[in-house]
Amino acid sequence: MSNDLLITVENVTLRFGGVVSLRDVSLEMRRGEILAVIGPNGAGKTSLFNSVTGVYQPQEGKITFSSQKAPPLSVIGKKTHRIARAGVTRTFQASRLFSALTVFENAKIGAEDHSGIGVVGALVKGPRTRRGEKESDRVASEVLKFVGLFPEAHTIASQLSYGARRRLEIARALATDPEVILLDEPAAGTNPSEKLELTTLIRRVRDERGVSVLLIEHDMRLVMALAERLYVLNFGSVIAEGTPEEIRANQDVVDAYLGTTHDETSA
Amino acid sequence: MNLLTRKSLKRLFGTLAFFALAAVMTGGPGGFGVPAYTGVHASYLEPVSYFGLFRTQRWSIFLTLGILAWLIISLYQPHALTIRRRLEPVTALPNRVMQRRTNRWVLIGVVIVIALFLPKFVHEQFWMYLIVEQIGVWILLALGLNVVVGFAGLLDLGFAAFYAIGAYATAWFTGVLPTPAPFHHPIPTLWCIPIAVGLAMIFGILLGIPTLRLRGDYLAIVTLGFALIIDDFVGTQSGLTGGGEGSLTTPTFSMNVGFWHYHWGINPTPYYYLCFIFVVVFLIVFTSLEYSRVGRAWVAIREDEVAAQSIGINPLKYKVSAFAVGAASGGFGGVLTAGLIGNINPTLFQYQVSVNVLILVIFGGMGSIWGVAIGAIIVQFVTSYLDNYQPWGYQLNDLYMYIGALLIIMMIFRPAGILPSRRRQREISGYETEHEGHLDEVLAGDEP
Repeated sequence: MSNDLLITVENVTLRFGGVVSLRDVSLEMRRGEILAVIGPNGAGKTSLFNSVTGVYQPQEGKITFSSQKAPPLSVIGKKTHRIARAGVTRTFQASRLFSALTVFENAKIGAEDHSGIGVVGALVKGPRTRRGEKESDRVASEVLKFVGLFPEAHTIASQLSYGARRRLEIARALATDPEVILLDEPAAGTNPSEKLELTTLIRRVRDERGVSVLLIEHDMRLVMALAERLYVLNFGSVIAEGTPEEIRANQDVVDAYLGTTHDETSA
Repeated sequence: MNLLTRKSLKRLFGTLAFFALAAVMTGGPGGFGVPAYTGVHASYLEPVSYFGLFRTQRWSIFLTLGILAWLIISLYQPHALTIRRRLEPVTALPNRVMQRRTNRWVLIGVVIVIALFLPKFVHEQFWMYLIVEQIGVWILLALGLNVVVGFAGLLDLGFAAFYAIGAYATAWFTGVLPTPAPFHHPIPTLWCIPIAVGLAMIFGILLGIPTLRLRGDYLAIVTLGFALIIDDFVGTQSGLTGGGEGSLTTPTFSMNVGFWHYHWGINPTPYYYLCFIFVVVFLIVFTSLEYSRVGRAWVAIREDEVAAQSIGINPLKYKVSAFAVGAASGGFGGVLTAGLIGNINPTLFQYQVSVNVLILVIFGGMGSIWGVAIGAIIVQFVTSYLDNYQPWGYQLNDLYMYIGALLIIMMIFRPAGILPSRRRQREISGYETEHEGHLDEVLAGDEP
């Protein structure tokens, strides 16, 4: 059912000068699924993320985000903050929190409505501003409870452990009330127990909040445990698509990860 | 303790070199045909002698100071850690006291009471003038630049431009420029406030929209260029702005509301209260901005623009708003200056003004509203004092040498300013916080 499509990427090509980062990539993401994009380093996974969130502007192709609340949005050419407000939010490979602010403030910034400038509202503190404040406080504490960071609401973000920072980043993204959240290597640099927590958390994001998840990850165990479908990128092209079982059995994928010549697999 | 170790002797040479440099730089300017008792020459030619062995006074004073400093450092160094640890309760006291909300309010109350009764203690008109013109106006300027540099993290090297726009707009609308007032109908100086502030904001927005896409250094250069253009424009367009001579005398402030008439006249005290009211208003406005949605968005942009965008913040819009808010305060300072000193001319808005405002912000603590206000009071007071009394052979030209030295020392020992913003301090030192209060307080927000 095409009605169920959330993000469609059609024949996207992204070049930087002579370097082709994405080559004719097509991808379909359905509403409510956990989809993973895997591939070796430099395969173009993060470029794909950046194209979907409006950081990069691909030269060819079409990316459409079909929101439930608004008419479909053609992503290419739109500014990142516009796309974020439409309901596509993300986390980053290296965590990018507002490190001088408290955990609570980090989540609250995500929850706030940034469509107006609000200088006047901030000065007059009318009922609308106060209602907005209260609402974003509520959302912020709710998402912090969701990721289990509420007890540390007062802590400065830079003091958190690595795993906690990852969770805070997810909380901040969730506070924007997104329809889809893009996670760029959420488990990078975390220890095994944190990894387990993250796996549960990501599944809960989808199950309890109904937010679709698009995931880039290197940790195959985590990907195979979480993702319902996978796309495999190599050298900027999609080389395979399917369920975890299908991907595991796909010879092209094994080649891409372990080298093309089968003899070398033992090395 | 052995003073003759290699390390210790090295330190001696270092200290002496430092004091020799200080001796030379703080001496008179000297020059060709100038008597030998000034300048570098003075350090060895001056005939006055303290000890007979040394031939000059300055020379021996600085040598003695150097050796004394070296001795003190040598004595202090082995015990530095212990001393610092022992003194910790004392040095940490201000921060600990200020962390309690009640204490903060008490301090603010005390400051306000002192400020209210200040004219009762200052009897010299001259000093009242200085307080308004050199301190009050500069607090406004520093508070405005603090929004741009401290909150939004945009380096603005041309803040004097908005100050100039405010002042010249006032002169224009009151009809004291060669070009006639709009509609040939001069208006009272007080009514110029909204107009001048509005104009400064419009210029801030017009400058901001095309340039705020630039980052860091590039933006700094653009703002610098803008200030130079404004400075040059008011300095050379004699037909419009009066050129180097500036305006005629701007009428003093006066207020006519119904039957109530008030004229500020030439006595500085009423200006003091006018200025005081506006400083308080701006303090309140900027504080509530800092802890609002807008303030948080500014911090987000300053810390990580990419992350800020990813949660829906439009950086350009918020940067422009920071520019406009800062410009408003700059324009305000301009109106006040015009009403206060009457004749405005380009020398008041030179590049040095921008630098000076930036120094006040850095000294007080970028992003810290109270820090910037207090920093402005201290620096401007000391500067005015030095300028007018010239104690200890102080020379007017040496001012920026001392301020430069002060900034260098600040960056080494207190990089976040004398009263650092808590958010900024965390950015600089990576962290520090004490958990005060209960979780429920979190929901009430970070600040009163």
